Amino acid sequence: MKNITITIFIVLLFIVLALVFTMFQVRETESALVMTFGKATRQIKSPGLYFKWPPPIESVQKFDSRARGLIAEPGETPTKGAVPIIVNTFVVWRIAEPLDFFKSVQTVKEAEAKLLSQISDAQNKVIGKHEFSEFVNSDTSKIKFDEIEKEMLTEVQKASLANYGIEVRSLGIRQLKISEDVSKDVFERMKMERSRRTEATIAEGNAASKKIVTNALSMHTEMLAAAEARAKAIRAQGDAEAAQYYKLLEQDPQLAMFLRDIDALKKILEQRSTVVISADTEPFKLLRQMPDLKPKD
Amino acid sequence: MTEEHEHNHEHEHNHTTPDDAGRSRLADPGYDYLSGALKVSFAVLKVIMIILVILFMFSGVTKIGEGDRALVLWFGKISGVGEDRILGPGLKLLLPYPINEVVRIPSKKVNLAINSFWYYQKPGEEMDEAANQKSYVPPTLNPITDGYCLVRGEKQENPAIASEGSDYSILHCRWVLTYEITDAERFYKNCYVNDIYLSAGQNYSDVIEQSVNPLLENLFADAVVVTMVNYTIEEAISSKVASVSDRVKDRLQNKLNALETGITVVSIQIRDITWPRQVSDAFQASLAASQNKEKAISEAKLTAEKTLNDAGGPATAELLTSLRDSSSDKTRQEQLWDQVAGRAQEAIADARAYKTQVVESARADAEYLQKILPEYRKHPKLVVQRIYQDAIEQVLRNAEEKTVIQPAQHGKATDVRVLINRDPGAKPKSEPSK
Repeated sequence: MKNITITIFIVLLFIVLALVFTMFQVRETESALVMTFGKATRQIKSPGLYFKWPPPIESVQKFDSRARGLIAEPGETPTKGAVPIIVNTFVVWRIAEPLDFFKSVQTVKEAEAKLLSQISDAQNKVIGKHEFSEFVNSDTSKIKFDEIEKEMLTEVQKASLANYGIEVRSLGIRQLKISEDVSKDVFERMKMERSRRTEATIAEGNAASKKIVTNALSMHTEMLAAAEARAKAIRAQGDAEAAQYYKLLEQDPQLAMFLRDIDALKKILEQRSTVVISADTEPFKLLRQMPDLKPKD
Repeated sequence: MTEEHEHNHEHEHNHTTPDDAGRSRLADPGYDYLSGALKVSFAVLKVIMIILVILFMFSGVTKIGEGDRALVLWFGKISGVGEDRILGPGLKLLLPYPINEVVRIPSKKVNLAINSFWYYQKPGEEMDEAANQKSYVPPTLNPITDGYCLVRGEKQENPAIASEGSDYSILHCRWVLTYEITDAERFYKNCYVNDIYLSAGQNYSDVIEQSVNPLLENLFADAVVVTMVNYTIEEAISSKVASVSDRVKDRLQNKLNALETGITVVSIQIRDITWPRQVSDAFQASLAASQNKEKAISEAKLTAEKTLNDAGGPATAELLTSLRDSSSDKTRQEQLWDQVAGRAQEAIADARAYKTQVVESARADAEYLQKILPEYRKHPKLVVQRIYQDAIEQVLRNAEEKTVIQPAQHGKATDVRVLINRDPGAKPKSEPSK
């Protein structure tokens, strides 16, 4: 019985060891190469469980196939118009073809060195074909940033997949700068531009405020004129309406004028008046002498 | 029973040896001791092995914490179909490694500060605003240590000052990016995470941020650089800040989608955005000018409002527009005239009062004449005299100073001098005030 137990144990151990040495799994994030006596014979890019001959016949080399970033060293590159700009480029890359990758570069470090060299070449080649005004331009329709990045990406992709089994999935410019000396000139220009704008702003402010006030004064005058015209029309309407009563006064114009004069006199001397009057005036005659009255026959 | 059996077996086995030797061994206390020790060791070993097997079988039991999601790998391949591929929080019964493997991916929102477009600050300056204000400002920017981005110049309509369009300015900005992993499967498959050389106690989710953040920083920086060149410094700083953020966010998200990262940009905030310190004075002056301009315009608008209110009130502008347009709605025009206030309203009110007064006065005069005419025709002198004397009486009653002059007598001229105050109500200057 004891022998059976030991036998089972040994068989199990053998099976486990056999599985350990002959099975291997490839994760979703990986790709693998099966090496037969050190020579790559099988490329595996799908995840799952796989078998191989035990070492030293076959061994497995795994590669991380996920996308990873790589930043190039910032470098001064002249544009088409010989304007030096400092561009800091990065790429997002992954190992797409493990066999090609293994044959050409083998390690990530080596691959990154190759990529950096290609980025530098692409940078010089593509940026040298474009004017600085295609990076920054007051007319936004002339900015070709996306096209420039695309050209650089195509340039880097061209060699990397075929030669190294590397897929460069994205390329971007993470810094676009100017040289230190040029920055001083830019600041001077910015100051001048700012001063010009300051003066323009002050002038605009004065002109705008003056225009607003002038318009308002003009409207003020216009409004009063319109109101005066309307008032005149109302007064004329009043005079016209009053005229119909004047016809009634024609029955005795002399008396009407006398009454009008009396009204005017009352109104004129209504307040704060000084009157100097002759003692001959009625009823001041009474101050001189008693009237001589006789009964009427 | 088993021990007895094994003992018997051992016993039988011992019988295969020569009898003498067997007898002597059985009698040897050392042999008994060794035999007992081996039995105990085997028993302990068996227990340990059973425990190990049990532990191995249950090593697949996994707890997914709150705020985490998990993928289960079946021999390296993501298991499950559709939504079942992502496991939520809870206790999960899985098969032991290497059959099943759990990859935990956090679902929390992560804030990432992007300072690569900010100028160099000595340690401590960033936190201490006063120290930052006092710090030395170099006349240039070092492209290695100082961060900034380029923005386009203003498009000049005036050909006298227009350049070829290549004018640009420099701008500093600091951002905060908030992101989360919304598609765990895509993220796991496509985003590199340095999970190979984990230190003790670390797992996949612990190293996600430190692996992913550099990639996000790069993609974000690219989005900022490409976006900013489309804006002027004024637009970026003031008027179109929201537009800049939205555009950066869109560009970054598009890149992340193209790379199938499974990462979603939750928000992008501009923490700081400013012109370079080297041109601060000029910008401050410009800012002050803009503020003064706004102030002057506001004051002018206030003056204009007062002026128009003085003229005709709030309806002035609309009324004038209506008056200028000969085809305007006359009913509406009349409504506006009714709403008119200020001096225009005064003029119209005066006119209306005049109209009423003139009409009523004429009517009263006419009625008065009509009433006295019959009597006047009978006794004209008496009526006139009566009216005249009433008038004189009223006038003299109202007069503040009255002087009656004796007329000249016997043909002699009389020289009369009357001192009349300009205003009878006012006191003479010579009279001291009491």
